[in-house]
Amino acid sequence: MDPATLRYTKDHEWIGEEGGLYVVGITDHAQDQLGDITYVELPSVGKELAAGAEAATVESVKAASDVYAPVAGKVAAVNDALEATPELVNQDPFGGGWFFKLEGVNAGDLDGLLDAAAYKEFADNEAH
Amino acid sequence: MMMTALHDEYAASGGKVVDFHGWALPVQFSGIVQEHLHTRAQAGVFDCSHMGEFMIRGAEAIAAFDRLVFSNLSGLKIGPCRYSAFLNGRGGIIDDCVFFRLSGEELYVITNAGPLDVVRKLIAEACPDAEDLSEATAKIDVQGPASRDVLLAIGMDGIAPMKYWTGRRMDWRGTEIIVSRAGYTGELGYELYVPRTIAVDLWRAVLAHEATLPCGLGARDTLRLETSKPLNGEDLSEAITPLEAGLTPLIQWDKDFIGKDALAAVRDAGDYRILTAILSADRRAPRHGFEVKSDGVHIGEVTSGTFGPSLNRGVGLAFLPEKFATPGTQLTAGPRDLPIETCAMPAYTDGTCRMKFDA
Repeated sequence: MDPATLRYTKDHEWIGEEGGLYVVGITDHAQDQLGDITYVELPSVGKELAAGAEAATVESVKAASDVYAPVAGKVAAVNDALEATPELVNQDPFGGGWFFKLEGVNAGDLDGLLDAAAYKEFADNEAH
Repeated sequence: MMMTALHDEYAASGGKVVDFHGWALPVQFSGIVQEHLHTRAQAGVFDCSHMGEFMIRGAEAIAAFDRLVFSNLSGLKIGPCRYSAFLNGRGGIIDDCVFFRLSGEELYVITNAGPLDVVRKLIAEACPDAEDLSEATAKIDVQGPASRDVLLAIGMDGIAPMKYWTGRRMDWRGTEIIVSRAGYTGELGYELYVPRTIAVDLWRAVLAHEATLPCGLGARDTLRLETSKPLNGEDLSEAITPLEAGLTPLIQWDKDFIGKDALAAVRDAGDYRILTAILSADRRAPRHGFEVKSDGVHIGEVTSGTFGPSLNRGVGLAFLPEKFATPGTQLTAGPRDLPIETCAMPAYTDGTCRMKFDA
């Protein structure tokens, strides 16, 4: 996914449309802060998620963190590769390190999220 | 924050600095997992200059120091290291320490950074002439199966005859230094105590060797947890006795030491919790403060835990009643009832620390 076209949350998730589904992951800034990622727990396919609901857990050597649904939707697919190779999140957070895909998303809900420039500003400020 | 003599070297190796007991120290350089695995395979280099060092001189002062720790000191020969701790009047651990005799008249003592002010005061009261070398000394740990080759390659010939768990004085490039063959990783390794004036030269010389990688506190933590070594401030505290910390075999009951009466009372009452190594069933880590349950009933808590890169699963330490401490006991930990089991110490058994060499 092209980071420039994605939408972002203040919890460091990204979301973007691909083939009619909405792909969700965590940002490059988030994986850098977490450090080596060792375990990812994904939601079950078919689960209905409200906006802001706990959707996944990501553990690094340092700590465990929750990943939230950026918008409401139903889990259509999950990235099973993360079970054996969670380091994909470190290596390719906007590509092979995606977490899950949502269906039934109201496209207008994305308007309430940050765009790439606003997220960059938010993340830069948070880092200082 | 306080800075070690090596502070300005961190940036060159990509070090990420954090606050550790008031010290600005690197948590990682290239990445915790990479640094961990490199230490197990070759050699990792750690700046541990925040730790405390003391020189106790003279038989009278050494006898006074003997009262501060629970391990036997009178029979200690020149060379072998001893692990012990300073206790409070309730038998709780103020700080753990390592010491060894450099000569018949000199005892070298290494302590942690956290409780250093308290320990400094304890030692000064018991041994007024003790020399506090903490500020003047930089400590660089070189750990891993290649560590001996690395140090010999930079001309530190004095380490060649050293056996596991001994310490001695030697010369390196015209400067007197102190070295112990010890560490916190389970691997063959050396702890180098040097004047802070040569710290940068030594750090650069060691890192110039192709087998080495600079390592931070993060890898130090994962390495020590795989080898089931407790950390003062996480697993050990003033509320924990050496009986609970699993140090019972080191306690010298037939001598006088601070906290002895309280400790004897805990021993006689029995039924205390024991610091126990735990392993997760998968890669999820037990974490500090996780409640431990057996069949849904609270029995203890995790004091530290992490993902263990060499074990490829979560690993940690927990205080558990003795009957649950038997290796292989199936338990759960934390809000999500992470499946864990107890295991023998150390959890990681392939460490090279005891490796023998022909002199």
